[in-house]
Formats: sequence, C-alpha cells, structure tokens
Amino acid sequence: MSETLHYDILIIGSGPAGQKAAIQGAKAGKRVAVIERDLEVGGACVHHGTIPSKTLRESALNMLRLKRTAGVFDFKLRDDLKVKSLTQRLDHVVKAHSRFIADQIHRNGVTRYHGRGRFLSDREVQVSMTNRTIQRLTADIIVVATGSRPRKPDNIPVDHEHILDSDSILSLTYLPKSLTVLGGGVIASEYASFFSLLGVQVTMIDQADRPVRFMDAELTDGFVQAFEADGGTYHGNQTIAEAKWDGLSKVVTVLGNGEVIEGEKMLMALGRVANIEDLHLEAAGVKPTPRGLIPVDQHCRTSVPHIYAVGDVIGPPSLASCSMEQGRRAVCHALGIDPGGSPETVPMGIYTVPEMSSVGISEEEAVTRFGGAIVGRSRFNEIARGQISGMTDGLLKMVADPCGKKLLGVHIVGEGATELVHIGQMGLLAQMEIDSFVENIFNFPTLGEAYRVAALDIVKQRKP
Amino acid sequence: MSPLLASSVDLEPVEQVRSLLVDRIEKGELRLPLLPQVAHQVMTLTNDPDSDVTRLASLIQQDQALAGQILSVANSPAYMPRSPIVSLQQAVAWLGMKHLADMALMVSIQSGVFRVQGFEAEVKALWRHALATGLFGKEIARLGRHNVENAFLCGLLHAVGKPVILHNVIEIQKLQDLHLPWNSIRDFMEEFHVSVGNLLTENWKLPDQVKEAITYYKDHTYKHAPSPTKVALITCLADHLASYLLEPTLMDEETLLALPVIQDMNLYSEDVSSLLEQGEPILKTLDSMPL
Repeated sequence: MSETLHYDILIIGSGPAGQKAAIQGAKAGKRVAVIERDLEVGGACVHHGTIPSKTLRESALNMLRLKRTAGVFDFKLRDDLKVKSLTQRLDHVVKAHSRFIADQIHRNGVTRYHGRGRFLSDREVQVSMTNRTIQRLTADIIVVATGSRPRKPDNIPVDHEHILDSDSILSLTYLPKSLTVLGGGVIASEYASFFSLLGVQVTMIDQADRPVRFMDAELTDGFVQAFEADGGTYHGNQTIAEAKWDGLSKVVTVLGNGEVIEGEKMLMALGRVANIEDLHLEAAGVKPTPRGLIPVDQHCRTSVPHIYAVGDVIGPPSLASCSMEQGRRAVCHALGIDPGGSPETVPMGIYTVPEMSSVGISEEEAVTRFGGAIVGRSRFNEIARGQISGMTDGLLKMVADPCGKKLLGVHIVGEGATELVHIGQMGLLAQMEIDSFVENIFNFPTLGEAYRVAALDIVKQRKP
Repeated sequence: MSPLLASSVDLEPVEQVRSLLVDRIEKGELRLPLLPQVAHQVMTLTNDPDSDVTRLASLIQQDQALAGQILSVANSPAYMPRSPIVSLQQAVAWLGMKHLADMALMVSIQSGVFRVQGFEAEVKALWRHALATGLFGKEIARLGRHNVENAFLCGLLHAVGKPVILHNVIEIQKLQDLHLPWNSIRDFMEEFHVSVGNLLTENWKLPDQVKEAITYYKDHTYKHAPSPTKVALITCLADHLASYLLEPTLMDEETLLALPVIQDMNLYSEDVSSLLEQGEPILKTLDSMPL
C-alpha cells in the first residue's frame, strides 16, 4: 500500500453530480481528486442512462423518418440493419461524451483514481483498485456522488437474457417481437416508446393509473395516446402477482387481477437504488435513510458537516440537470462561495416519443396556492410549423394566476418539448407577464408561436 | 509429385506439414467440415422470428441420434430435471427453446467436428474447454449486466478452428507418410485456429457476434473488435477462466488475476471470486455431459 495522500476535496463518483463538483472545486483553486469505480468517467448517465437512451431515441426517430421517406426517395432500409446500426451509433456517442468529460477533468487538474471508494473514517477513504492495490486518501471535504443502479425486486428474476433491466437492454442484439415493460416511471416510459417506435409490440404495466404521474395529466394522456396509436398498450392500476420466463419462448406476467400478459422479453424498470453499500458510510458517521438514500440539507450537506452527497444517492428528482447543479452548489457551499440564486425553476424533460416537458407549477398547484388559475392551450395542429413538420400531436399549456397576468408554469407534450420549454423557463425567471408573449414577435413559422397562441387563449379568458 | 511437394520433402517433417497446411489455408483448399445439417437448420430456425418450439422439436426428432443425446443431456445433473425426461416433448417443456437450440447445436457440432479417430482424449479436452468457455461466457455477461444471449455460442465456438486443423494435419500426415508429435500439432492448432475459425464462420454462415468472438478473442486482439458488444472481451476472459479451471497447473490465481483482460473488464477481486465460484457447477456440467 502506498502512502496516504491528502486533497482539499475528494469526490466519490464521476457522474454529472461528481463531475461538476470536481470542476467547481478545481476552478476555486483547490486540490481535487475523483474516485471512479468504472473504467471510464461519466457514471450511469453516460454509460447506461441519459446519454445512451437519448441516443437510442434519436436513432429510432431518424430511422422512422428514413423509413417514412423511403418511398419518396426510392430506397429501402435493410431489415437486419436496425439494432446493429443503433448500437454502433450509441457506442460512438457514449465514447465521445466520456472522452469529453475525461478531458475536462484532466484539463482542470483533477486527479482521477480508478477504484472503489470506501470510508475508513469521516476524513479518510480507501480506494481498492482492480489490480488489487490500495490507495488511502484523506480530504477536508468529501462529496459522495456514487449514483444509482436499476432496482432488482426479489420476486422477479432478472437474468439479463429474457428479463432485462435498463442496463442490459442496451446490449440487445435484435429487436424482440414483443416487450413487456414493468413500471410507469421515466425510464419505463422512454424505453416503451422507443421500442414501440421500432415496431416492437410493447405492453406497459404499472400500478399507477397513468405513466409518469408527476407530470401534468394532459401531457401524459398525450403520450399514452401516441404510444397506443403506435401499437403499444398501457395497463394502469395493476399489481404484479408473478413475472417469469416460461422456460420456452416467452416471459409470462400474471397481474393481480389474474390477467396473463406474455412478451418475448421483459424490461424491468421499477425504479433505481442508490449505490451506497460499498461506501461503508457508518465509518464516516453518515446514516442512510430506511430507503437507502443519504439524507442531506438544502445545501446537500449530510449530518457530518464536511461530507456532502449529491445526485441519485440523495433521491428525487434524480435528473442529470439537477445533479450537476447539486454538485456545483455543494462545493460552493463547502468553500463558502456564493452559488448564485436558488434554481426555483428547474425544467423536467421526459424523452418519450413524443417528448414531455414542464417548468414552473401545475394547474392544481396554482389553484392551491393562488385560489385559482387560468390555463391557455395551444395545439400544434393549429401552428403552421406543426403542420409543416408533421408534428401535429403536440400541446402547449401555459398556467397563469387567477387574473391571467402572471406566468406560473408551462407544460408541453410534443416533439421538441424539451427545447421549447426553455422559453417558458426564461419567462418565469424574468417574471414575464402573459401579455409579453402576445406583444412580442416570434419567428414564423416556428413551434415557439405556440406560446403566443396559448397566451392569447389566457387573455381571452380574463374576467373584465 | 507436384513442385510444392517436391520442395517440401527437403524440409523437416514439422516444416513439411506446416508448409502444406499453410498452403491449404492460403489457397482456400483447407478441408472444412460441413456444418452438421441439423445444426444449420437449428440456427436458421432460431434466427427466424416466426419459429416456435414445436418446429424445433420436430426438427430434432428427425435426427434420432441427436434426439437421444439431447435426452441424455437433459437428464444430466446439470439440468436437474424434477422427474426423468423420457420424451423430446418433455425435454422441450423443461429446457425451453433457447436451451434446446443451444443443446442441439452443441451436440451436433460435437459429433460433426469434435470427433477425431486416434485423438479421442485430446479432442475431448478441446471440447471440454470449448464448453467451459461457453458456460463461463454466460456468467461473465450476466455479471457485467450485458445481454447474455450468444455468449454461450461465442465461447463454445471460439476455438472451433482447432479440431479442423487437427483433421487436416492428420490427412496431410497420411498423404506424406509422416508422423508428428502431439506438441507440434498443438502448436499448429494454436497458430492457425483463428484464421481457420474465420473460414468456418464464412462457410457456416455463423452470426456476426460469433465471428467477432472467434476473430478477436485473443489477449492482443480483443481491443480491436469492431462492435461495441464486448463479445470478444467476454470470450477472452471466458477462455482464460476455462483454462484455469481445466488445467490449473498451467496458471495460478495470481497470474489469472494479473491478466489485462481482468482490468479491461473492470473486474474487482470479489467479481473474479464470484466467477471462480462458478467453476464447480461448470465442472459438474462438463462431467455430466456425454462426451
């Protein structure tokens, strides 16, 4: 074992949260080290989560566009091209992104250790490497950013052959004829829509009445409508009595009501669990919650003042965008740097087909907080750009206060929703009034025009 | 006598055979075994999205020797049937389509390729190694949360070129009235099995992933594998684990743990330990197979 090395800041995990924490520390002139157990930096976001799933989505959409235009341009896609070309592209994007993060970490002078980090005390961490060497590190500030992995329920045998999780589904070598998706959260909904788009018969099963329940109901209705129009099925309000490979040719799911659903493969997407078991948190004096998360205050500080936790290990919202900000803010707080205003308007983006995105508060919350709300709607089929681009299924909702003056929230379902929502976000940040969306000029034809149409809808509903 | 043979007679026997073997490979004149017909049909069937287990069972039924061997394997402790399996239909129900297809392929390739008169013990060792590599491949893929489909077939066939070289060397020896020591034949197998395996994959129209595993599974080549599937990396490690299991005198645990493929698979010591724990069940499976 080599001698113990000291750093100002030690980050365990190099996903979005850890990466931004490290960069912030380095920018502040501190001596920073990052411990990463995987070969490459980037965490699940780059290798199994956000980046691969979104790349798969784009590739599936591109393939669909090509397929739709094949007749016009007189070409035919090879039937066996699908998965191979999808995974090749995925690999290329993942590698490029991982390289970019590695370069950024290196450029900022952050030292990288490849190994598993384990607390020996509240200031000391042992790094065990794959070549079985050990390195001990001490630090004044420690940030835990070890992320999460797919949850594996005891009663469902995930064998990565017939019953897959969101990691192993990325190495499918062919498209199954049918896929049962257990779960109705973000990951379940995103993969369900990609595979449905690729021509797989997809059945989603979840205990909630609708998928992605934290999103506006009109948005999720729009998603389910599009999903079912593509041939998918959503079974809500269901419990799972049993799910297993029948030993022959299909995965059989028995629902609580006795109904049997069969699929060639199954994707198990019933949530994620925080990666904390290797950390030996008790040695640091940090006690996880009964749900296996690390409890933190508003600055992402744990019960031990110089130990912070950020990203998926602290629980929802578990969005890459939020995790990055948590990482940055945690280190700012630890170093006494002003992190800037608190981000009250964090947008949510769900990369289903079509996309769903929200910022600000919902209609229900507006009613609770302000005693009422005026909602303006704009459907993409009323927007010239929607017609031109064939994106007529979308809906943009603006939520205003009961007087119809102040913008409170924006909710969008439709292609481009995750980009379009940022106009609403800037509007919220600038405390723009609804009239600003009516009085200002948008490029024509664009989907941005939907803001104007929705704002006009609010103006129309104002009480004189 | 052809000019080639005229020149080869001046060489040492090992060099003579080597030269003739290389000549066969380079000129595409290597005698390649046909993919046993049933194996070919099984592969076609399993790649057909409309196939079902009934069609597979009726296909196997047509080859009584194969059906008999499958029943024997299905009854082995490796598959732990709840009650004796007496019919193919019962085997189908117990093993499932994928297992049955793997088994049909395994049995037909064994009888078609891994059978060389006079070298029974040597070929049996090759076969046990191939089988262990296939079984370890599945465990490695599962551990790494990779899709385990194809891992078995990649492992099983990674060195399928070896028995083919043996067949050809024996034939060349007979024609030239030579007799090489086993060590020399083994060196030929080691040297040429990847290129011969490649010829076989073309000839047998094996899946792309199997072809990639055969071509790139060696320590110095897995990094050049073109696809992101990691089949070459997984097969490389599976090959080493199979060697460690079956020929423990050749490699100690320290050497195994120091292999670059362990680092490149990002396996920590506890991961390797969990893989090595699979050794015993794999040995049981091998011992229960009618080899």
